[in-house]
Amino acid sequence: MPDSTDTPKTLHILNKAPDHSRFALCLAAQADGDTLLLIEDAVIALLDQQISLPMGTHALQADAQARGVGSTAEKHVDYAGFVALTEEHTRIINW
Amino acid sequence: MNTLIVIDRAPYGSWAGREGLDMAFSLAAFDQPVSLLLTGAGVHWAKRDQDATAIGQKTVAKNLSAAGLFGVESLQVDATSCERFGLTKEQLIAGCTLVESSQATLKQFDRVVFAN
Amino acid sequence: MTNAMALNYTLVITGAPWTSQAPQSALNFAKALLSAGHRIDRVFLYGDGVHLASALATPPSDEQHWPALWVELLQEQLIPATACIASALRRGIIDEAEQARYQLAASNLLPPFEVAGLGDWVESNSHSDRVIYFHGTS
Repeated sequence: MPDSTDTPKTLHILNKAPDHSRFALCLAAQADGDTLLLIEDAVIALLDQQISLPMGTHALQADAQARGVGSTAEKHVDYAGFVALTEEHTRIINW
Repeated sequence: MNTLIVIDRAPYGSWAGREGLDMAFSLAAFDQPVSLLLTGAGVHWAKRDQDATAIGQKTVAKNLSAAGLFGVESLQVDATSCERFGLTKEQLIAGCTLVESSQATLKQFDRVVFAN
Repeated sequence: MTNAMALNYTLVITGAPWTSQAPQSALNFAKALLSAGHRIDRVFLYGDGVHLASALATPPSDEQHWPALWVELLQEQLIPATACIASALRRGIIDEAEQARYQLAASNLLPPFEVAGLGDWVESNSHSDRVIYFHGTS
């Protein structure tokens, strides 16, 4: 079992709305250097005044557009960008 | 590859936890290292005091108790979630390890998997 | 397209069509994977995800038919796709062998989906470079 300090940089893929208990669990699991990608219902978190997302949070463009979540400081990625994030990370958690 | 299966849903109202348990048992059956983490509402899985006969289901604690026998390496239970529901160690089935931080537990595994 | 850094992926779908967005997100992701030159070892349906393998899903004609769209991709790319047999039997997704075994009135497993045990998923965990899950939102 690797020591926790050796945990590789993790890609967190989150599809739940901010009200879902797993949303908070996922946010709490973010470590330095990790990447958070919001897909499906999770993209509405970009508009949620009660939620503070990590710097550099990514959101899936198609899902953001579908829900009228416009461009923000966060990075929007298309499906090719989604694939690229999974290439770059050996450790991925689907929340 | 060390896998952690996480159960964060309450028992009986959904099948998600049972399907998470099946995943853990399958990995163990193929000699793959696997542990279970119960967190949030999922801690109710580990209560001793359960009887699901009146709702026509099998008591989940019985299935969970077999985890060690089937080769699941550890059964970790989030202490903060237990506190929230007023659960003490004595109220949990044998073989549970209380962990102070689910987050620290997650970091110890190569793969972290939810069943739903 | 060839990709020197090509990876092998397994996609696990646990959310049902018309209950969740999981099959749609997984399909878009699968297409983008193949465009980038990666390979898909297997698509594995688990839990409610097995409903994607129903041959009887009949959405209104002006809506996307997710099982049919998935079948198109699986057949074109010859991607093995299995539905967990325990999840499938409970939810009434039945192939001909199980129909005979349990003497059921009908079978409804949509080819090329097959039913198999969780062993397929365990094997994917060992052999694929990446395993990506598409869950429901409940």
